Amino acid sequence: MKFYSNSFLYDDPWSIVSLAFFLRYPNPYASHVLSCDVIARSFSESGTLLTTRLILKKGSLPRWAPKGIISRAESWIVEETEVDPHGRVLRCMTRNLDHVKVMRAEERITISEADVGKTLQYNEARFVSGFGWGLTKRIESHVLARFKANVQKSREGFFVILNLIRQSRMQHMTIGAPSSFLDSHRFTGSEVRMSVHQDTVASYSHDNNEARAVTPQPRMGPWGRLKAWLRPG
Amino acid sequence: MAHSLSDECTPLKREYDACFNAWFEGYLEPAVAASANPEQRSKYSQEKAAEYEASCGKIWTQYRDCVQKAVKDKGLDTLLEQARQDNPLKDPPPPPTPEKS
Repeated sequence: MKFYSNSFLYDDPWSIVSLAFFLRYPNPYASHVLSCDVIARSFSESGTLLTTRLILKKGSLPRWAPKGIISRAESWIVEETEVDPHGRVLRCMTRNLDHVKVMRAEERITISEADVGKTLQYNEARFVSGFGWGLTKRIESHVLARFKANVQKSREGFFVILNLIRQSRMQHMTIGAPSSFLDSHRFTGSEVRMSVHQDTVASYSHDNNEARAVTPQPRMGPWGRLKAWLRPG
Repeated sequence: MAHSLSDECTPLKREYDACFNAWFEGYLEPAVAASANPEQRSKYSQEKAAEYEASCGKIWTQYRDCVQKAVKDKGLDTLLEQARQDNPLKDPPPPPTPEKS
């Protein structure tokens, strides 16, 4: 079993981070997400919102993977989320539905209100392979390394969505229009053809597995990149 | 909004997601003071649930039926049934133990 955890502090209110969490696909950094569907949604007795989503992700196999262990490099992911707007906490668990003999990957995310106007996200992930044939450890290490390499990428993608929400809210504040963000801003990104996105995050250090909080820097990068993505050329 | 797992369901998914997201924005900001008592909160939650049902209930049923059929056609229903029986949110695993090397 391999374990990974980290945490992140946003300078945004909980409601905005939680909204961004639900809206995070598609984004320019998540071209591996092929589909995302809500398959169940209900309210618990205490009034929290329970959502189950089924997500199809495109993957790639390492060169050393034995032929035929996985017939296709795609994986179905189930994501279960509970949102408690009174307690200001969102809990989410994702795991893979297929290829479980090769690898079980389980990720838990908690997004909770920290100080006023700040939000803490805590992530933990577990990887267990039951494959055997002397490959168990190698598979686990490979998947962990891939996961770490993708942490920064998913964060960048998340920031694209977060920035869109921030900008939209700011516009409404200045114009004074009471209309909601989503009335004026439909996400139609998936109608745009996704170009292959080369993103280098080489400078990012993945060595620190301990929980740590990082204050995000105000950034224009993802926004500019999103515009470039929406209007290539 | 991302595609549905079945192209056939994508228009329904878009319509449903737009409806849900507009409602969800309000749900995340309860118009009830943090100091409200449990009864007030519960009443508010029930109102919100009714509001969701009234505005998105119809399109949800159409979208859900479409996706359920697609899930079945792809043979994913059995896998899903098994996975969801584990009830992950109510039954978290114990904290990890340091790995022996």
